[in-house]
Amino acid sequence: MNSIIRLVNRNITISLNPGFLIWQIIFPLIYIFIVGFAYAPLIQNVPFGVKDLGYPAFLASGMIGFNIMNSTLVSGIIIWNDRRHGMFEQIMSGPFTRSHYILSNICTIGIIGLVSASLIALVGYPVFFESVEFSLITIPVIVFGAITGSILFGSLASIISTRLRSSEGFNVIINTVFLFFAFVSSAFYPADNVPEPLRTAFYLNPLTYLVDVIRAGIFGNITQFVIIEMLILVGIASVLFVIASKLLTKLDF
Amino acid sequence: MSCIDVTHLSKSYGSIKAVDDIVLSVKPGQVFGFLGPNGAGKSTTIKLLTTLIPPSNGSLTILGVDAIKNPLEIRHKIGVVLQQPSYEPTLSVEKSLDKYGMMWNVPKNERKKRMEQLLKDFDLVKIRKKRNEDLSIGQRRRVQVAREFMHDMDLLFLDEPTVGLDPSARRKLLDYLKNKVKTGLTIFYTTHILTEAEYLCDEIAIIDKGKIITVDSPEALKNKFGKEKTIKIHLLEKTPKISNLLEGIPDCKINFESGTNIVIHSEQSELVLLKILKILNDNNIEIEDLSAIPINLEEIFLKMVRKN
Repeated sequence: MNSIIRLVNRNITISLNPGFLIWQIIFPLIYIFIVGFAYAPLIQNVPFGVKDLGYPAFLASGMIGFNIMNSTLVSGIIIWNDRRHGMFEQIMSGPFTRSHYILSNICTIGIIGLVSASLIALVGYPVFFESVEFSLITIPVIVFGAITGSILFGSLASIISTRLRSSEGFNVIINTVFLFFAFVSSAFYPADNVPEPLRTAFYLNPLTYLVDVIRAGIFGNITQFVIIEMLILVGIASVLFVIASKLLTKLDF
Repeated sequence: MSCIDVTHLSKSYGSIKAVDDIVLSVKPGQVFGFLGPNGAGKSTTIKLLTTLIPPSNGSLTILGVDAIKNPLEIRHKIGVVLQQPSYEPTLSVEKSLDKYGMMWNVPKNERKKRMEQLLKDFDLVKIRKKRNEDLSIGQRRRVQVAREFMHDMDLLFLDEPTVGLDPSARRKLLDYLKNKVKTGLTIFYTTHILTEAEYLCDEIAIIDKGKIITVDSPEALKNKFGKEKTIKIHLLEKTPKISNLLEGIPDCKINFESGTNIVIHSEQSELVLLKILKILNDNNIEIEDLSAIPINLEEIFLKMVRKN
């Protein structure tokens, strides 16, 4: 078996614990079915391209991007745990290179991101069923979003994990950054209706682009702006990936 | 051919030389002990030998392979138990062993077989379902060492593997290692516990301040540096004048403890003892007990490090 596949196998085994599964499934369900329907009377229809989406459908599609971002926390947690519990050094003294380690982390977050996106798409499907517009590019766009988003947020989590040693520091920073990403984005509410300068802040946040791309795929609204958003996502993901790889390569024992 | 061949190896961190121009050769099928005080450069040397860090200077050949050019090839053939604990907190003991074997590409059936054997050999059967994070330090250490035997290797690096183990587990591990060496395994072993080194090692190197002070077998080291013996004499009764009587005996250092105990350090212990016994006899001083203690490795180690 290939070295990277073996490390991915190990990464998935250590990541799949009950706490993580609850975080990945129960949390989005609460958002989609409780928050979505509770807020529906307050936010009645959300204009999206030529369509008007119900709030639960808007939120459920946003939760796919949100869940991809959350699942990529795994990458940071794996690296941080490996460093804290001596496994990074142990793996590096075994039949692996740093490139194997980095690529296995990327593959792991890609897989977890895809599974997570599919899961929420399945769970949220009854909610956005009426507005879905399937086309040839629906699935590829969602897959694109899942992979790019995983690399982007996974790299970010990896960068944070390489810089911090204490568990308190790691938890505080990662939760603050990801909380900012979650709520200063169009995952929960449309960007068009929020006041300035919050609206500008929305577009400084890659999660907004990720959520926009996934929504465009689901509801069939691939515009020129969405293509620009896709390019921006690729650009940010590439830069963060390079930085994360460099930091991991330089990581001291 | 040597298992490890090190020539003029150095590692510097800025102006600090952690390892300074060391030369080493480890023969196959032996346990090579690597001793030194804290901060002497032991762990840095292990990191260099296991290809975790590159050297600043020198050449390094492990199992006939150039470690600087082909580190990955070497890492396929060695096992490493590092000083710091390493474990996956959420995995159970048996899952840890199994996954570690999987990482080393050991086939599933073979993994199962080895795992069962190691669980028995390292007294882990009762805790096989326990998660690593719930284990005691000693149990975790046992898992860490056992895990390394899930895969095949020609050379094993053990960096203070008995830290946290109770005396019985420690002895079991040493015996386990001795048996493994009989099957052809070579071990590079660092420790602070010198009785361990004496029990296990065929050859010993002492490192201090990044430099190797000496390399030899434990017996040869004792012969080379251990001419000095300690003689303890316990007198039957308190004899206040004893220090005056023994004053002036050459080639020895005498300490008097509580008027009944005499401790003599000398490289010519036999001659000195004869002189002391004659004086005691002439003065009708009775002896209750007499013992001669040969120098041990710990004393040699301390002596050498102090001298360095």
